[in-house]
Amino acid sequence: MLAKLEHVTKRYVKNEGLRDLTLDFPSGEVVGMLGLNGSGKSTLLKLMAGLLTPTDGHITVFGGKPRTNRAQIVFLGETDVLWPWMTPADAERFMRNLYADFDAKRFTELLDALEVPRRKTKTMSKGERGRLRLAMALARNAKLYLLDEPLAGIDLISREKILSSIVQEWHTDETIVLSTHEVAEAEGLFERAIYLREGRLALDVSAESLREGGKSVVDTFREVLA
Amino acid sequence: MINDTSNWSIDMSAGPIFEQIAKNVHQMLARGALKPGDKLPSARDLASKLRVNANTIVHAYNELEAHGVIEKRRGLGTFIREDAPVDGMKHEMLQQAANAYADEGLQLDASIQEAITALKEVWDVG
Repeated sequence: MLAKLEHVTKRYVKNEGLRDLTLDFPSGEVVGMLGLNGSGKSTLLKLMAGLLTPTDGHITVFGGKPRTNRAQIVFLGETDVLWPWMTPADAERFMRNLYADFDAKRFTELLDALEVPRRKTKTMSKGERGRLRLAMALARNAKLYLLDEPLAGIDLISREKILSSIVQEWHTDETIVLSTHEVAEAEGLFERAIYLREGRLALDVSAESLREGGKSVVDTFREVLA
Repeated sequence: MINDTSNWSIDMSAGPIFEQIAKNVHQMLARGALKPGDKLPSARDLASKLRVNANTIVHAYNELEAHGVIEKRRGLGTFIREDAPVDGMKHEMLQQAANAYADEGLQLDASIQEAITALKEVWDVG
């Protein structure tokens, strides 16, 4: 098992982030992490990335604590960390210094595929910045990619490019966990859909088996979370 | 032709995606958009184009291979077999669609003449 959560609870000061969550992530799976705002999707991804620690329960990634294995985990968060003066070339230097697994050749290929303009990020649209951030994340050679809302707040064409690149770059031994509100656009990528409701597991199901029963991942979203 | 995304139609609520991919290939063969000997895109490229999981395309290709429609040639890619059962394919797919229509007609206790008349009316409008 690539990652494992056992009875994980995360309490924030006021509300509960996650409640008693037990999940397994085998290697080589593309997983959709779905739920309404505040359902705990981001909290879960941050816990798996070692950016938060659970209040209760255990998380193991690659057999150890996420924090100690952070070098092997790619996390793409919702916060845009790009400096306004940065160009894609600056981003490449930044990533190369930070991560041993960063593949500069792959990064260039991704910039081309995603049609990222070679200029400062302050002159880029939100969609272009989103594409640049995805290229930075996918250019790392890791086995676990945690992509938190990579499609949020950006234009349709950028969203389609991002999804196509994720499919193109995915290797069968890599696990991708992708949270999104754009369920209809992204659902073709998912082999498995995990639905969270108010910090608890609502449903964990194979996407093709849902469709076998004539229901899409979106249809099921409405049923389970409405 | 096969790389043109408008040739593919996938409905997430209409059953497993791998079945729909396989059906799309059958349809393209039946109407001549694909011919024996044609090369299919790699699973990864087609998956990326359609924005579906690459394993789903592999699954569809395996299914098509098992039914004698396509073959993998080592180091070259995936091709429509020269002996793919193209001739009967259009007829077979029409029969499949007609099955559902016939069932509906029988439930209405319609005669074949009534069914054909209704089909013609709809056909001419389309």
